[in-house]
Amino acid sequence: MMKTFDIFVIPFVVGMVFVLMFCLAALGRVILQMPHSDRRRLLVSLVTPQTFLRNIRDIFCDCLLHVKIWKRNPVLGFMHSAIAFGWFMIIVIGHIEVFVLQPFNDYNLSFAQDLGSKLYLPIFFRFFSPEAVSPTAKTLAFLMDFFLALILCGILTAFLKKIKSTIVGVKRITKFGFADSVIRIALWTIFPFRLAAETTQLMVFWWLYSLDLCLFMFLLPFTRYMHIPSEMLLILLRNAGIKSKSPRQGFALAEMYSCPGCGLCIDACPMSVDDEKSGMTSVYFIRNLRKNDPEKMREMAEVCLMCGKCVSVCPVAIQSCDLKMNLRKNESENLISDLSYLNKVDISENICEKGEKVLFFAGCMTHLTPRIIKSMKKIFEKAGERYEIMDSEGGICCGRPMLLAGKTDAAQAVIAKNTEMIRKSGARKLVVSCPICYRVFKEEYQLEDIEIQHHSQYIDEIISKGKLKLSRTKSRIVYHDPCELGRPFGIYDEPRHVVESCGVLVEAAQNRNMSVCCGGSLGSITMSKDKRDAVTDSSLANLMANHPDEIATACPLCLKTFAKKTDIQVNDIAELVAENCS
Amino acid sequence: MLDDMNKVVIKGGGAAGLRAASRLKRNGIDTVVIERESTLGGHLAQWDRLFPDGQKAKDVLDRLLSDINGVEVMTNHTITEIQRENDIFKIKLDDNTVIQADAVLDTTGFDIFKAEKKQEYGYGIYDRVITNAELESFFKTGSDRRIDNPKKIGFVHCVGSRDIKVGNTYCSKVCCATALKQACEMREAFPESEVYTFYMDLRMFGKGYEDLYLKAQQDYGVKCVRGRVSEVAEAKDGRLVIKAEDTLLGKPLKMTLDLLVLMCGMERKDGFIATKNGFVEQNITDEKGIFVAGTAIQPMTLPETIANADAAVLDIVEFLKRRK
Repeated sequence: MMKTFDIFVIPFVVGMVFVLMFCLAALGRVILQMPHSDRRRLLVSLVTPQTFLRNIRDIFCDCLLHVKIWKRNPVLGFMHSAIAFGWFMIIVIGHIEVFVLQPFNDYNLSFAQDLGSKLYLPIFFRFFSPEAVSPTAKTLAFLMDFFLALILCGILTAFLKKIKSTIVGVKRITKFGFADSVIRIALWTIFPFRLAAETTQLMVFWWLYSLDLCLFMFLLPFTRYMHIPSEMLLILLRNAGIKSKSPRQGFALAEMYSCPGCGLCIDACPMSVDDEKSGMTSVYFIRNLRKNDPEKMREMAEVCLMCGKCVSVCPVAIQSCDLKMNLRKNESENLISDLSYLNKVDISENICEKGEKVLFFAGCMTHLTPRIIKSMKKIFEKAGERYEIMDSEGGICCGRPMLLAGKTDAAQAVIAKNTEMIRKSGARKLVVSCPICYRVFKEEYQLEDIEIQHHSQYIDEIISKGKLKLSRTKSRIVYHDPCELGRPFGIYDEPRHVVESCGVLVEAAQNRNMSVCCGGSLGSITMSKDKRDAVTDSSLANLMANHPDEIATACPLCLKTFAKKTDIQVNDIAELVAENCS
Repeated sequence: MLDDMNKVVIKGGGAAGLRAASRLKRNGIDTVVIERESTLGGHLAQWDRLFPDGQKAKDVLDRLLSDINGVEVMTNHTITEIQRENDIFKIKLDDNTVIQADAVLDTTGFDIFKAEKKQEYGYGIYDRVITNAELESFFKTGSDRRIDNPKKIGFVHCVGSRDIKVGNTYCSKVCCATALKQACEMREAFPESEVYTFYMDLRMFGKGYEDLYLKAQQDYGVKCVRGRVSEVAEAKDGRLVIKAEDTLLGKPLKMTLDLLVLMCGMERKDGFIATKNGFVEQNITDEKGIFVAGTAIQPMTLPETIANADAAVLDIVEFLKRRK
């Protein structure tokens, strides 16, 4: 009968019990804070085979292998999966070792002692059974050593990243507070201690190994490493189709816990062009959410441009824009909007005439860039389309700016009025030239039987149907992906097709879902003109990487923002087409 | 009093440059005026009449020109490089001529704000949107195909001035009075017309300006609306539909017009030139021997420009005397 207890295991067991209790309590909080409907949804998803399989796949790919990070940068991917997958395998093989090599329970132990030994035996197995004798034991020992070596390589990479972050393709890394710095040292030393303990079998190292694990586990709930247990829960919740409804509770709490603080969002954030503002990025926003610092939370939620790039680079896919929007909603709850004017607005009678037609909604921003309206008129006419402009006599806002400011009620009133007018028009298709409007029409309006198209989609469609005759010029045109069009809807190809049929398409340094916000975004409530200008300059520099002759975009706000900061010609895709069609 | 070796190069033959040239000449200082255009006079030469009392711009320009008789003038020339060698400037022109000078006076003035940059006003998109400068040239020549007996005319103040969105936060100073002058002239030219001006505030600070404002309303029936025009659209018949806000009544406003005149302000591509001290060294730059006068420093009215050129000449004369 081998020895199954030594006093040095106690720190580890205490830490382990603490962390398990904390996670259980946190899980309870997340579940209880969610609305009833979401809890139902979770339950249903857990027993649905497809979601069950998706959960397994996602947990394996995202939490252990870190596939998303591999795609981003292989070295960074290696670092993450070496530590995560290596550690996971050590735990799994550790349990197999105990199961295989110590198959029978020691009946002299009480139930509690037995359970306790189940906790720590896989961790300290080599102490209690230093010699691997049988071939099975040797194989398992080899695997354990292999994964330990893998983890150590991962930690070495992490250490090198700390010294020089560019080796993993990252310019700026997250600045950590005291607890996060201490736990990082704890994490980095766990495995060297284990190696030392196993090779030397000196008690001091076994103690250090156990104490280090204890420290790690006591700090875990209060640091970024909470993402290790939390991310699995987040995957289950997300695959159940749950979204955050509050800035800090329920699903949001799971998201907060799941932020690994990796800081990939810092380089992605357009505000980071100004180092002073890189402290405003999502990783710090979530840190302040966890701290529940109301002033900083609000400041960061309001300054954000809502371009969504942090969300698209986030390896955990935390919807930080949603969290910020939820916070804005709470802040704007008590603001009163005078919407009495809505009663006086109506769609003009001649638009409601019977017959197939396309309804064009220009929206406020396109009214400030009337060249686009003029171009769209020409395009409709050249394509032989029967069309009406919904807001030529002055329409109302689409509602998105109010939503972005957190004024949900005012937005809903405007949305209801527009919906009424669109239905009244009898149109089957609605074309919008502004991605800001497009987004709200797609996400918030109930217009099931009416096809909603962004004008890039519409123009691409009529070109491919041969309704427009275009002449191509030799001009090299770079296309800027607007934030509200690209990242939320993946409309990347249609506008590019349009540009290609007018000239020579050139790509920016960062494009598609990596596109850089123009700086004019309605998303930010508080950003000063200087800071916006800095964002615009960096976005322009990104576009100019391949020396285009002109810039094309598909958003009137991007257009206006760029046009005032550059001497190079900036056109909407509609203007390009109108110029080149005969 | 000054020896013959002294020479001053004036960059720009507009109002400030001409005035400074005549004053330097009177002080016996050898002066060369370099002008990039083929004629002298700058913006003044493009204008028909001047506020507040409608004096002919040509009369003022003729007087400025007659005062520089005998001053060397090089039109159709631009300066490509200014080099300093000890205390002498070597000024290189586009035809590779090099002029040596003891001092340089920059009177390169302003550019008129490009109205296309405020796309929401529809300049260059709609036929019936014109600029203040174009209206002035209509007054001069009497012809502009876009101005076809308009019945309802609007003037938009502060186009490209006091507008953080285009990056110009300053007031261009001359547009308020110009708008009311032009509004009265339009009423004279088209007695049947209604004329509206849309302003943020009317800055009628100079002698006779407030009288012009009263006269415009009382004698010419010009209607002044306090509020900015937000956007301009084209109706099906080609007329213009403007949206604005009457901030005195606190109401949004929609109006159909036959002609819209944009009061484009002043700007400079690389910004106005900084001087050493805005109070007591208004014409002296940080570069020793290089002086500046007129609207290259900041927006100024014509009388201010001329006074400012005089002041610059005094600084130059003192500078040359002290050098001896």
